[in-house]
Amino acid sequence: MTDDAIVRVRGLTTVLNGKTIFDSLDLDIPRGKVTAIMGPSGTGKTTLLKHITGQMRGDAGSVELDGLNVPELSREKLFELRERIGYLFQNSALLTDFDVFENVAFPLRQHTKLPEELIRNIVLNKLQAVGLRGAARLMPTELSGGMARRVALARAIVFDPALILYDEPFVGLDPIALNQVLLLIRTLNETLGITSVLVAHELAAVQKVADHVYLIANGKVVAQGDPATLANDGSPWTAQFFGGEADGPVPFQYPAGDYASALGFPGGKA
Amino acid sequence: MTQRRSYAVGTGLFIVLGFAALAYLATQTTSVANTSRGDTYTIDTRFANVGQLKVRAPVKVAGVRVGSVQAIDLVPGKEEAKVTLAIDESHKDIPEDSVATIYTSGLLGDQYVGIQFGQSKTPVKEGGEIGLTRPAQQLEEMLGKFFGGGSAPDRLGGTFHVTGSFTNIGGLQPGAAVKMAGVPIGSVESVVVKPGAVEATVTLAIDKRYSQIPDDSSAAVFTSGLIGSQYVAIQPGGSPEYLADGDSFVLTQSALQLEDLIGKFLVNGSPSENKPGAQGAATDNAGKK
Amino acid sequence: MSSRNDNVVVRSLAQIGACGLFLLTILAAIPRSFRHGRETVRQIWFVGAMSLTIVMTCGLFVGMVLGLQLYDVLSIFGGTSATGTVVAIAIYRELGPVVTALLFAGRAGTSVTAEIGLMRATDQLDAMEMMAVDPIAYVAAPRFLAGVVALPLLGLVFCAMGVFGGHLVGVTWLGIDNGTFWSNMTATVDIHKDIVNGVLLKSFAFGIVVSLIAVFQGYTTPPTSEGVAYATTRTVVASSIAILALDFVLTSFLI
Repeated sequence: MTDDAIVRVRGLTTVLNGKTIFDSLDLDIPRGKVTAIMGPSGTGKTTLLKHITGQMRGDAGSVELDGLNVPELSREKLFELRERIGYLFQNSALLTDFDVFENVAFPLRQHTKLPEELIRNIVLNKLQAVGLRGAARLMPTELSGGMARRVALARAIVFDPALILYDEPFVGLDPIALNQVLLLIRTLNETLGITSVLVAHELAAVQKVADHVYLIANGKVVAQGDPATLANDGSPWTAQFFGGEADGPVPFQYPAGDYASALGFPGGKA
Repeated sequence: MTQRRSYAVGTGLFIVLGFAALAYLATQTTSVANTSRGDTYTIDTRFANVGQLKVRAPVKVAGVRVGSVQAIDLVPGKEEAKVTLAIDESHKDIPEDSVATIYTSGLLGDQYVGIQFGQSKTPVKEGGEIGLTRPAQQLEEMLGKFFGGGSAPDRLGGTFHVTGSFTNIGGLQPGAAVKMAGVPIGSVESVVVKPGAVEATVTLAIDKRYSQIPDDSSAAVFTSGLIGSQYVAIQPGGSPEYLADGDSFVLTQSALQLEDLIGKFLVNGSPSENKPGAQGAATDNAGKK
Repeated sequence: MSSRNDNVVVRSLAQIGACGLFLLTILAAIPRSFRHGRETVRQIWFVGAMSLTIVMTCGLFVGMVLGLQLYDVLSIFGGTSATGTVVAIAIYRELGPVVTALLFAGRAGTSVTAEIGLMRATDQLDAMEMMAVDPIAYVAAPRFLAGVVALPLLGLVFCAMGVFGGHLVGVTWLGIDNGTFWSNMTATVDIHKDIVNGVLLKSFAFGIVVSLIAVFQGYTTPPTSEGVAYATTRTVVASSIAILALDFVLTSFLI
């Protein structure tokens, strides 16, 4: 499986504001599969995506994408690389100055000198794929959250990237929109062979769409496997996370002093 | 794309407007803008003294503006200023024996040319001349204006020296301008009190181009404006003989205290201190012609 | 960067330093931003042409009030004919560039800060990064350039309106002679000292400062709604102080 990994993370260590986000993290994203990264809030799942795209750099370790070590790339090389990566932002991040059509056309206009006809065909084709061809002339403010996310998805795939990173694609979607997005991710993966990485909390959705799941906690991969077996592998991490327990290896409490002494009771373990 | 083009057009308009404003400011409100615009004809006038008259100053008949001053030059070899007036085409009927006078709007106001109509039936021709003029008044020359002190002329033609004795030179400094008919013709070379004398002896270096100064002319210490620098003004006399190098002025008028000036102005409006000759020259140039 | 414990002086210094470095980043990105020429044109429209109304209105009223006040004071000395001269010089040398820059900071600077701040808060800048579009070259540099181009033009328009306002009050209403008004002005106003050094040079310097502050504040704002609100406030405060302080420095060099 390591042979056809598109992303290979080795010994990644990142400390932000004195807090250790990743502690020698090792992780592989298999090519042509849908990989889900799960974990409690604040474990740095989005941060991991930013390491893959080179927006952030770790303090130690390597992140290889297609054989290139991302943290060492120059800005130009990084920009070249990013043209082959789609990234779906949690809040869609559509450019508010432009309408839907121009948002999807934006990367094409910036990086190519394609004739207007061709741009139009490509953009309408991508909008059709997400079911929003009719909304081409709406402004981003006129879209619902689900529609905006689908437009952002159309924009992310406009260059037919080899890899798409989804940052929390299911948050705030109604069940219909959620199902559509799930279907889209699956379709893109199966028909175009696009490798997908998604960061998500929704276990049910992940189980439907993902081939492989990583569970991250305390800066390390604590469990991995295909979603069906992972949920029942019996480890305390998966039991706690999927069962939603407050007690377990993942601390629910933010690190704090002794509760009794904080309340002023004598006899605390000050 | 049409949306983008409209931005480009609007931005273009904005930039054009900005440059139009620049062109307007530069050509209409600065010293670049001293040419008068069409539909006018010119009349020449000669004044013994133009005071602080400026190019583009108004020309008025009965207080109504009929044109503006187009150019002010010194008549070569004479103590006269030639003032070219641009009069609107609509006022073609100015009698040829009219009198042009330099007036001041108020005590410190700006000067303008006023024309009083004569009796003649023939109007003055285009490019013609009004022969009868009255120069800027003495008082105005003393009080001066807010702007513009005197500046010494260049000395390309060399200089000759004349001296004058003053009982009081006020704040006159070596280097101060010497003016005749309001035009700088030289500078003050030295200010000394000779041993045993009570008067200050002022040596003036005057440009040789202006050598034709009548020997009965008077010299006076004046101030440019209320708070301006002091200069020496020469009032031409009527004698056929000219001052030569080393001569001295017979008639001098010392610097006046501001209080004196204003007092005189309020009482009789015509200052005259030991210079009877200058009185006649200043009052009516028109009469002599 | 500064920590929360630093005092005001250290924090201000850190801000000024960061702002200076940001200027270098923008300047370095300007050649790349020429690819986005259309975006620069669009920004000149937004910061320049859209500020015309306020600049023209204010210029007119400043000129009118100057005309009125000067006429009142100068009439004490019988020197009302100097009204035009003093209006023109006061506007060209000081009021034109300074008031235009202050208006520009309030009208265009704040909107640039808010716009970039919101783009930051809604991840639009990160999205551009991810689409391999450099946000400094695409967002920051065009807005900076637009401000530098637009402010001198606005300053000129302000001055023209100011002189017009002074003329309106002085000549049309209070009866100063039209020729006197202009002849005094043209005799005293100098194209080099008053228009080039006064209006153009000062406006250009203010354009750099105001645009830099506006873009910098937007670009470095914390990505929250309070962050954006504070950033717009800081744009106005910092720009105003910078304009007036720089005005003093420039004047002492130019006069």
